[in-house]
Amino acid sequence: MADVSLRAIKKSFGKVEILHGISLDVMDGEFVVFVGPSGCGKSTALRIIAGLEEITSGELYIGGKLVNQIPPAERGIAMVFQSYALYPHMTVYKNMAFGLKFAKTDKDAADKRVRQAAEILQLTPYLDRKPRDLSGGQRQRVAIGRAIVREPAVFLFDEPLSNLDAALRINTRIEIAKLHRQLNATTIYVTHDQVEAMTLASKIVVMNQGRVEQVGAPLELYHHPQNQFVAGFIGSPKMNFVKATVTAADASGLTVDFGEAKPMSIPFGGTTAKTGDSVTLGIRPEHLGEGAGHAMVLTGTVEAVEHLGEASYVHVRRDDGVILTARSPGDSRAEIGAKAAVSTDIAHLHLFDAQGQAFARHSKADAA
Amino acid sequence: MPMVNRRVNVNRIAVHAALIFYTLIATFPIALVLINSMKSRSAIFGDPVALPTPSTFDLIGYQQVLEKADFVLYFGNSIVVTTVSLLLVLIAGAMAAWALGEYRFKGNTLVALYMAIGIMVPIRLGTVSILKMIVGMGLINTLTALILVYTAMGLPLAILILGEFMAQIPRDLREAARCDGVSEYRIFTAVILPLIRPAVATVAVFTMVPIWNDLWFPLILASGDGKQTITLGAQQFIGQYVTNWNAVLAALSLAIAPILILYVVFSRHLVRGLTMGAVK
Amino acid sequence: MTSIAMAADASVGRRRWPTHIVVFLAPAFLVYTLFSIYPLIDTIRLSLYGADETGQQSFIGIGNFVTLLTDPNWSKPFWNAFRNNLIFFAIHMVVQTSIGLALAALLSLPRLKGAGVYRTLLFMPTMLSVVIIGFIWQLILSPLWGISKGFLAALGLGSLFAPWLGQEGTALITVSLISVWQFVGIPMILIYAALINIPDDLIDAATVDGAPPFYVFWVIRLPLVYPTLGVVSILTFVGNFNAFDLIYAMKGAQAGPNGATDILGTFFYRTFFGYQLQAGNPTMGAAVATMMLFIIMVGVLFYLFGVQRKLQHHLA
Repeated sequence: MADVSLRAIKKSFGKVEILHGISLDVMDGEFVVFVGPSGCGKSTALRIIAGLEEITSGELYIGGKLVNQIPPAERGIAMVFQSYALYPHMTVYKNMAFGLKFAKTDKDAADKRVRQAAEILQLTPYLDRKPRDLSGGQRQRVAIGRAIVREPAVFLFDEPLSNLDAALRINTRIEIAKLHRQLNATTIYVTHDQVEAMTLASKIVVMNQGRVEQVGAPLELYHHPQNQFVAGFIGSPKMNFVKATVTAADASGLTVDFGEAKPMSIPFGGTTAKTGDSVTLGIRPEHLGEGAGHAMVLTGTVEAVEHLGEASYVHVRRDDGVILTARSPGDSRAEIGAKAAVSTDIAHLHLFDAQGQAFARHSKADAA
Repeated sequence: MPMVNRRVNVNRIAVHAALIFYTLIATFPIALVLINSMKSRSAIFGDPVALPTPSTFDLIGYQQVLEKADFVLYFGNSIVVTTVSLLLVLIAGAMAAWALGEYRFKGNTLVALYMAIGIMVPIRLGTVSILKMIVGMGLINTLTALILVYTAMGLPLAILILGEFMAQIPRDLREAARCDGVSEYRIFTAVILPLIRPAVATVAVFTMVPIWNDLWFPLILASGDGKQTITLGAQQFIGQYVTNWNAVLAALSLAIAPILILYVVFSRHLVRGLTMGAVK
Repeated sequence: MTSIAMAADASVGRRRWPTHIVVFLAPAFLVYTLFSIYPLIDTIRLSLYGADETGQQSFIGIGNFVTLLTDPNWSKPFWNAFRNNLIFFAIHMVVQTSIGLALAALLSLPRLKGAGVYRTLLFMPTMLSVVIIGFIWQLILSPLWGISKGFLAALGLGSLFAPWLGQEGTALITVSLISVWQFVGIPMILIYAALINIPDDLIDAATVDGAPPFYVFWVIRLPLVYPTLGVVSILTFVGNFNAFDLIYAMKGAQAGPNGATDILGTFFYRTFFGYQLQAGNPTMGAAVATMMLFIIMVGVLFYLFGVQRKLQHHLA
């Protein structure tokens, strides 16, 4: 068991800097998910922790020990690759036992471990098969098994579910969560899928363009995104953004003009925002309802309606062309082309400055 | 920190040392011939590894070669034979590969296998009959004889490579054309041919190099009457003037220089073509 | 409406005699049949004929083969050429394949600087004519020029020098090594292509598993290129048992000294074309060619049904 610390880690390939100084602490036993759009550097960060990429500058500690120059095999890690990386010419058994050869595990102990892992992963009947004879899900489990037998202090997963079909992906996701509870090993998991991140992580690291945008528990990121990028990335469908201008600011709140009939006061008091500043309002679709029933009302024309059964998403185009997505009940009667109003409770508003940084919202207690 | 780095560096240096060592083995003999072809006879023997200096520089060998043998003509012959054969192989090969890959008809597999025999069985072994036939057709000592034989020789591999390549062209493209009512011939010329251009490099390597370098068929089918290819011409010339070192070295240089220049210019494409062919 | 009409059209077109297929296939099929397959079959037919003084040919069954294998005038050079050809092939398999493999392994190292330049230069000899290569090496090894002697002397090995090409004991080995020098590029490039096609993840996984680099090569990468080694072997086999140019260029049709470098290709040429005072014998030549064809077919079939099957089972 071990914790992992990244200290100002930078990585360049030639002249191109991929990671611009990542600092992060992963506690022992934590399940940390790196999430971000492709090319954000999350896989590079993982490969650095594995020791597959050299660190350009900065320090990496695993279990309190500086491991910058320690080869991967001696870091106490095991990695599950996106492509599974099973050795095609070896049986399932040999694939799983391969790493133990070099860990100086004696034969009987190695055999026991492999069989145990196979049992946990329901692979026992397939031990003598070769990877080509297995289904995608089974291959995935062999890849996980190969990691388990090494009894690593830290598990590394590189987009392990992206090659599976949707149904299998959900199953395997649950299996991985269960496995983590059983083994209680520190786990670092890379994905571009925010649903995977939300469901698996005890802590999410949102990355963008080689930087960490925010670190936090899933719900913390959902409720308190520190910037517009995180706000837009976490949550589905995406958060709506509405441009607005500050018309008055004092300790109790801000008054913003957001393109409707008259400006409105919102509970973001005591911030650095001044009159005349451009800001962006953030409203999650699930907090935006059809009709003018809530305090903040926005208007436009219905552009599209998606009926999902348990809910409907109504897309409303405002006069400035911005499309808002509102979550309505499943039987929404919204008609395409009709004028419509959508509204939200100002307690659910997010507010970002011109640079995309979030302003702190008064808690409900404050507002009351 | 520096420990691992140093180990890596030492390994890297060893790798480069090994590669440079073998690169020297591979290129030195060629360089030696090129260098010495431009030196006087005494310098060739006096210090073979030295580059030509103003005092040892001498093009007497080239002068003699160009006087005594018609190398320009041989070049022309080689170029005609190689390019015409390549063109025929490409056109006929692409058509056959298309027919075999695109249309399901009775005997498709059989014809495909039949066309593949030539990949493994060298056409050379049929020389006795080929000679008889070429004599019978009155084509002995003509470039046409060589072109026909080389086209037959190059087709099997070309069909294989082009077929693999065509298989990667999305089916939808041809189906779309068919839905538009385009004829099969138009589909081939207007849709397929432009798309297989990248495979042409691969086919060219596999077809042209063996033809350009072949000694056997020129020796047997067209060894006189000024129909020699460059390879045969150089062989005959050198056999005749073995003791004239300047001339021999110049003849060798003349025979390899164009290939070397072309190779260095196109090496990226060539090696990519080879590796691509190899992947299949 | 139009779409229905079109569908009907297409089905009619399908039932019609498929002229276009014939048009597409005909050129390749005709040229290939006439100048490749027909000559091979005709050669086999000719091998069953004999010729009298006037050149009149008559069917003699397997007479030529009986002569070839039992008449000492024929069988001795034939078996000599066959044995030499086997040695020629064995040297290629051992030396050429291992050097090719080693170079490919080095070239395929990740992030190797100058890999493209190495590749270009290492493959260079393979592009050149065998004849030219033969002459180049003849010059280099010639005691007259003395450049190889000078090199060995510089290394303190001057006493090792001998006219290798001229001695019966060393000529075949020397010629084989020259051929290896020229053609090592082919196994190199084929194995290289196979090696770079191994997914990086596999190597990364082995690294994480703690396998040392050499072990990764022997246990992961090498087994994954076995099928390519199979292809290399059969290409080498066919090429070697069909070789002619190099020996003809360096040692002439007689493949001296005293037949020491005679292989089936040169034997075939002499039989068919004759040399010096000996007249050529087309039907006997056809018999030799048929024997070569037989040997090559045995090799190819062994590869297709023995080696390749096993390799496919081992992988894929």
